[in-house]
Amino acid sequence: MALTENVLEIRDLVKDFPGVRAVNNVSFDIKRNTVHCLVGENGAGKSTLIKILTGAYMRTSGLIRLNGEEYNPHSTRDAKQKGISTLFQELNVVDQLTIEENLTLGMEDTTFGFLRHTDKINKIVGVMNSIEPSLKPRQLVSSLSVAKKQIVEIAKAVAAESNIIIMDEPTAAISESEIARLFTIIKNLRATNVTVIYISHRLDEIFEIGDYVTVMRDGMHVETKPVSQIQDRSELIKMMIGKTVFEQYTPREGHCEDTILQVKHLSNHQLSDVSFDVHAGEIAGFYGLVGAGKTELARAIYGADAYEGDILFKGKKLQLGPDKAIASGIALVPEERRSQGLFTILTIRSNVPVMNMAKISRGGFINSAMERSATLEYVQKLKIATNSIEKEAAKLSGGNQQKVVLSKCLFADADLLMLDEPTRGIDVGAKSEIYSLIRQLSKEGKTIMIFSSELPEIMNICDSIYLMYDGRLKATLRNGCDIDSEKILHIVTGGE
Amino acid sequence: MENKLERKPAVSTKLSDESFITFFMIGVLIVLFVLACFVVPNFYRTQNMINLVTNNWFYIVLGIGVSFLLITGNFDMSVGGNIALTAVLSVYFCQAATGSPNDLANGLGLPYPVAIGLALLCAMSVGALNAFFIARLKVPSIIVTLGTMMLARGTAQVVTEGAQRNTSLPDVFGMLGSMGIPGTTIKLAVLVMLALVIIALIVEKRTVFGRRIYLIGANPKAARLSGISVERYLTALYILSALLAGIAGILLASEFRSGMSGQATGYEFDALVISLLGGVSIAGGFGSVGGMFVGALILAVVKSSATGLLLSPNWQFTLKGIVTFIAIIAQRYALDKRRG
Repeated sequence: MALTENVLEIRDLVKDFPGVRAVNNVSFDIKRNTVHCLVGENGAGKSTLIKILTGAYMRTSGLIRLNGEEYNPHSTRDAKQKGISTLFQELNVVDQLTIEENLTLGMEDTTFGFLRHTDKINKIVGVMNSIEPSLKPRQLVSSLSVAKKQIVEIAKAVAAESNIIIMDEPTAAISESEIARLFTIIKNLRATNVTVIYISHRLDEIFEIGDYVTVMRDGMHVETKPVSQIQDRSELIKMMIGKTVFEQYTPREGHCEDTILQVKHLSNHQLSDVSFDVHAGEIAGFYGLVGAGKTELARAIYGADAYEGDILFKGKKLQLGPDKAIASGIALVPEERRSQGLFTILTIRSNVPVMNMAKISRGGFINSAMERSATLEYVQKLKIATNSIEKEAAKLSGGNQQKVVLSKCLFADADLLMLDEPTRGIDVGAKSEIYSLIRQLSKEGKTIMIFSSELPEIMNICDSIYLMYDGRLKATLRNGCDIDSEKILHIVTGGE
Repeated sequence: MENKLERKPAVSTKLSDESFITFFMIGVLIVLFVLACFVVPNFYRTQNMINLVTNNWFYIVLGIGVSFLLITGNFDMSVGGNIALTAVLSVYFCQAATGSPNDLANGLGLPYPVAIGLALLCAMSVGALNAFFIARLKVPSIIVTLGTMMLARGTAQVVTEGAQRNTSLPDVFGMLGSMGIPGTTIKLAVLVMLALVIIALIVEKRTVFGRRIYLIGANPKAARLSGISVERYLTALYILSALLAGIAGILLASEFRSGMSGQATGYEFDALVISLLGGVSIAGGFGSVGGMFVGALILAVVKSSATGLLLSPNWQFTLKGIVTFIAIIAQRYALDKRRG
């Protein structure tokens, strides 16, 4: 079979989710035996594209050709058999097994159900040792570092004779020297007829390892270019954010002077030495890419995770524990709404008053009339689409679920509202409703902190912008007409 | 203010899943009861119906604590052992210090109220131990409470040398167990059980405490982030469950005027089974004490008809198993079907 020049050809690919077109008419080619980088902001459609390639999602329409033949995987296993393996951020190794057992997992040779040691194992171990000679086949995987675990997965992919290995942010959790080692391995893979699709938020890596780069934005393909034809990071950043005109931010009238929250030298396993002040009545936006430490910062302030350093709210030091935070007047809308914010098997009526039961009870007894009217009030105020407050929260759409979580926090009557990814995964209509609610709350004098990985969201509604990278606070900006999104992206991708 | 609202979402009149399950199990109870009336001689008699409740009061008392904990997503398997411990200790504390060479006839000679107070404290400390390991150290509840179940019963065995204590007891010791409504077989224990069930129903349905039990079971992470001190609630519930077992132990010891180390063997499983029959979900966040009460009656009908049919104890056990299994499968099937 004559090998085609392009190992993968994507034509007019579309993926629709309810209310959102995540991948919109994407077409590009990936050349054989190259390192092809895929970049874009959060929500640009990279992950969806990768999930289609690995068989986790079915495309809505469009065509993909692998080695010149139509490619339509129905599962990750199927994708692997057809030659596409993936190194996910959440590694797929089993800690309790040895390296050897991991390498042969799912394709063991057996006699009457008993494992047999065959040449196949020797061959796979041989493949692994050619990649990384220091690994011993009988070693337990739990004793390995993240970087070594990645190598075990790469070896597994190579042994499965994959044409293409997709790597999803492989350098997110490994050290500098391990990154260098990984890059050597990637270069060797390229020399041995493997195409690597490489996804990373660290733009410098693209220039170091990439042959081609494809930029995506808002679900669309922007450009595919040889990396050698790109001058520098800022050209790449321009392609990533494009000429998007952000919805105009209206500067607030008057200044917020009084400091309500002081964070001093905050450190924990994910944060290093974060210090800043938030003024009463302002909307403060914390922006950074995935893993920058935004969620960890919110959780630390809320007292959900332990930390070193001091957090002062209204001049008083905060104690650990969300119950203490709520009692002092802080409420959090957590990042994961279904697993952290919502009681999905309970009704809307049981969800809304949770954070302030005192308001609907007397002497420990719930007043059901007050409970119902309070719930109805929020259902109407936030326009939660439901025919009954006795509906289980699980049965609502994503946007309405988020409104229930917001109601919960508003019901707590907090002075400081922290919103972690308040509009993640919800449709455009609900999004703009939530934005106007945030503005409204700010007008009523509430202080609001938004933790988001969507830059337009931050630039659209926040008065001050705090930029995070790698667990540190890198810069603080005031929003206004001179705000520069390119500079922001430069900082949150690790530039100085 | 409600009439000011323009578009008012209905306050649903549809049955909640919880009431549905309770009514479904009441239906199962009626069917089994009618069936038993045809098959088992004398089953329809009023006295037999009263016996169904009065002979099983202790399962229901245990079931209250066990159900509450199940709703939070936790097990309590230590309640049976805790009954034996409390029963034995209440006797030991109350037995006269006779100085007899027979150790089993020799107690501490404390006044009865002090003796039962101390015995209840010991029961509650078993609950506190459960709470420490489960709520604080996050050890799975099934492991911890299986451990404390053996610890409690083991202590009871040590105190009774593997047998029982029943001598040198003052007359007052038997009073609680023999009191009752004159002219009936309804004992004080049964009235205590009914009072506890009513209190539990009020707590479950009407109080903030009860609501938080469901919230913790429905999503412990969200409960914590919503400011509920999950640790404190679990601690309170484990101590409560142990206290209920302790009360049952005191009453049983008084009724038999004896503390037996083998008392209440296997009761933890019956308490679990009646909760499950009543629709309490082991996944947490769902169920009710009312359902558990119905579950207890179902189990009572099955046991009583097995006895009435003169089945051997071995077959009684098997029949109990089969009915439990079918009832729970039917219940889950009905719930799934209803939810679509």
